[in-house]
Amino acid sequence: MIRTIVSIFVSLALIIGVAVFENLHIRQTFELFSQALESLYEKTESGTVTHEDGVAVETFWEKRKRTLHIWLPHTAILEIDYQLYEAVGYLYVQDFESAMPKIEILQGMCENIPQSYRFSLENIL
Amino acid sequence: MGLIFIRTVIVFIATLIVMRLMGKRQIGEMQPYELVITLIIADLACIPMADNSIPLLYGLIAILTVYFLHQIICVLDLNFPAAKTVVSGSPSIVLNKNGIDDTQLKKNNLDVSDLIESLRVEGYFSLDAVDYALYEAEGTFSALPKPNYQDLQKSLPIIIFDEGKADEKNIRRTERPLKYFTDILKEHGCKDIKKVLVMTVDGNGKIYMQIKGQKYRVVDKKWEKTLW
Repeated sequence: MIRTIVSIFVSLALIIGVAVFENLHIRQTFELFSQALESLYEKTESGTVTHEDGVAVETFWEKRKRTLHIWLPHTAILEIDYQLYEAVGYLYVQDFESAMPKIEILQGMCENIPQSYRFSLENIL
Repeated sequence: MGLIFIRTVIVFIATLIVMRLMGKRQIGEMQPYELVITLIIADLACIPMADNSIPLLYGLIAILTVYFLHQIICVLDLNFPAAKTVVSGSPSIVLNKNGIDDTQLKKNNLDVSDLIESLRVEGYFSLDAVDYALYEAEGTFSALPKPNYQDLQKSLPIIIFDEGKADEKNIRRTERPLKYFTDILKEHGCKDIKKVLVMTVDGNGKIYMQIKGQKYRVVDKKWEKTLW
């Protein structure tokens, strides 16, 4: 009986621990990524952006996405990859007009993805 | 992962409720919650394993949740009899010394022919050969035979009326018209065959009949020749 009760608490602690860590990790990662994208967007809007700025954001994302694969469906990460590579590609050819909507999409994704992991009725159901 | 935990709990409880509502017919040698675990865990393990786009952790957390729920149910089972009844159900005595308890049968989504089939599997071919028959919470069937039950089943009984419906094929096998059996019912105060829960007859003419809400009766018509 004691073993059963201990196993209940251990499994519950594990689940809660993983859930809290996941929530914090995803939120923090996307907050940082969002800040990097915001800065990239401002520079693109003002025309002062360089290809290196784009590559810096891409490097940041590449580092972070390794751990995100543990928590997020890989298709969500692939979608961000796709939009980001396109945006950086436009920055390389200095097509700022085309790069801006891509960065906006990425900013939207940074808002939406962590929201889909919050405790809310619509996410549970 | 918190969402997966909550979603798994919801799916588990919903499946358990459905299994409990379905009655003992669907279970068969497992507690309802054990069957739910068996049903859920296979998919939980397979989906992240087969689909590369889903993190393996999704499956692992869901399996851990199922384990957590299993342990909770084990504690409830051992310490709270009322909770045990809610989660696992209780045995249903479907046949007693008064005959078949059709309320218990219906509660478990079973009918008289299911009961007769279960009795046959246990080696009891005549309804009057047993004093008690019950379905355990996990769906297994057991029966307590009468001391002289071997003497009571000399020939295989066949169903003549099953819950108000006449079995034409079996009536033909008796080489007697339907009226022969309805007259027997009338002799025992039943004018409407819809009120008959069950009537069986064996090859020697021994009739077992039970009118709904009444005790069973055995009438031996002692046919001149054994028909089967």
